[in-house]
Amino acid sequence: MTAVRAWLRGLSSVQVTFAGALLVLGFLVAAQIAAEGPRVRYSTEERAPLIDTALTLQTQQESLKAAILALRQRIGELEALDPDAAASLRRLYADLEAARLKAGLTAVSGPGVAFRFEDGANGSVDALVTARDVRILIEELWLAGAEAIAVNGERLVGSSAVIDIGGSLLVNSAYLAPPYEIKAVGPPDLYGRLQGSVAFAQFVHGRIEPAGLRLSVAELQQADLPAFAGTVGLRFGKPGQPQ
Amino acid sequence: MTSRGAAGEAGVTRRPTDASSLRSRLSVAAVATLLGILTIGQLRGQAGVPGLSALSATELTQLIANLTTGNDQLRTEIGELQRQEADISSTKQRGETTVDNLTADLERIRAWAGITAVTGQGIVISVQGPIGGDGVEDLLNELRNAGAEAIAVAGVRVVGGVVVAGTPGGLSVENQALGDAFEIRAIGSPQILTGTLTRTGGVIAQVGAAYPATRLTVAPIESMTLPATERTGPPTYARPSL
Repeated sequence: MTAVRAWLRGLSSVQVTFAGALLVLGFLVAAQIAAEGPRVRYSTEERAPLIDTALTLQTQQESLKAAILALRQRIGELEALDPDAAASLRRLYADLEAARLKAGLTAVSGPGVAFRFEDGANGSVDALVTARDVRILIEELWLAGAEAIAVNGERLVGSSAVIDIGGSLLVNSAYLAPPYEIKAVGPPDLYGRLQGSVAFAQFVHGRIEPAGLRLSVAELQQADLPAFAGTVGLRFGKPGQPQ
Repeated sequence: MTSRGAAGEAGVTRRPTDASSLRSRLSVAAVATLLGILTIGQLRGQAGVPGLSALSATELTQLIANLTTGNDQLRTEIGELQRQEADISSTKQRGETTVDNLTADLERIRAWAGITAVTGQGIVISVQGPIGGDGVEDLLNELRNAGAEAIAVAGVRVVGGVVVAGTPGGLSVENQALGDAFEIRAIGSPQILTGTLTRTGGVIAQVGAAYPATRLTVAPIESMTLPATERTGPPTYARPSL
């Protein structure tokens, strides 16, 4: 013991720091190798270009959506009300703003909730959050009175589909990987209403708990949801009754 | 003297010379740099595109097809918006009012959002037999995924917030009981909608397997009108962000 103490006392602070740093370095190298392991195992010559293509398309999608939001903003500014406009024009402009709000084309804020929905830790297929799980939560939120919902920043509108792709999701054609953040704006007691739903309780006790999925929630005084950035138009339908 | 000498020698062995001190510091700096690079690499690796590396080649191909289609639609939307912007700009430059532009934009948004009725071609799904809300919602989700532009269930226009819920025999939409026989109508490409729904292992097969006593049939329709939603009021809590 005395010899060990003497040896420890003999170490300089530089040596101690160096040893500590090497220890952390060792852990990081091990973690890096462990993290790379599955990717190397799954990597094949055909998958690498596919991943690159998917990444390129995702990047393009983000910039296309940003361009759409910017154009809608510019159109809104161009259409902005002339102070000398006639009452009919003022009415038209107000109707347009109201329609955009109802359609989900306007970013909104209000009281709400934010859920974080994650895969279970046991690694089984059953412990993956599926599109149906997310859809059930969304449906329950709508039924509880939510007025606007977004999943990982993708605003849901009447045409939004939520579908599985591997262990991830496609929402509004955007690729979303877990964990999923589902934000909703609605009445201040939105979460209380949700808890009162028999179907939601069945979902929690019949699916989330047995599968080990992780669902956490925060009630927000102000939830901020983006505008829908997809296509708004009809190719096969026309407004109104047939002529 | 001797003891001082011994202390002095001990001091020499413990205190590094300038050269060895510099070496130690450089070593620590090198390790710290490597540590930083590895930490950043680790964090970036985790924050990158999680999930993509876990997808199979088939799933990646499916994802690429979806992204390509989605991006094409977004480009079409951008073209439409650019045309709209140019129209409004030229109208304003001529000193005219933008009534026509505003009216056209308003009609388009209202129809798309279900605020007004829509007429067009599409399909009708006839549901006969007991089915739960989950089955109907699966059908609606697949219709949206296949590009349906407007949907109505038993004459109720499906917009954001409308959910078909309930157990078999107790199904309802917007407080309207559905019973065991009703229709789902969707406007869109009849070929694409029918093909997507009825493909082998598709949603019709899945819902049919989940509800074997229920008969689902899909038929194209050349022209139909889907009504406007009855949800006419503005949102109460969601305010436009500034």
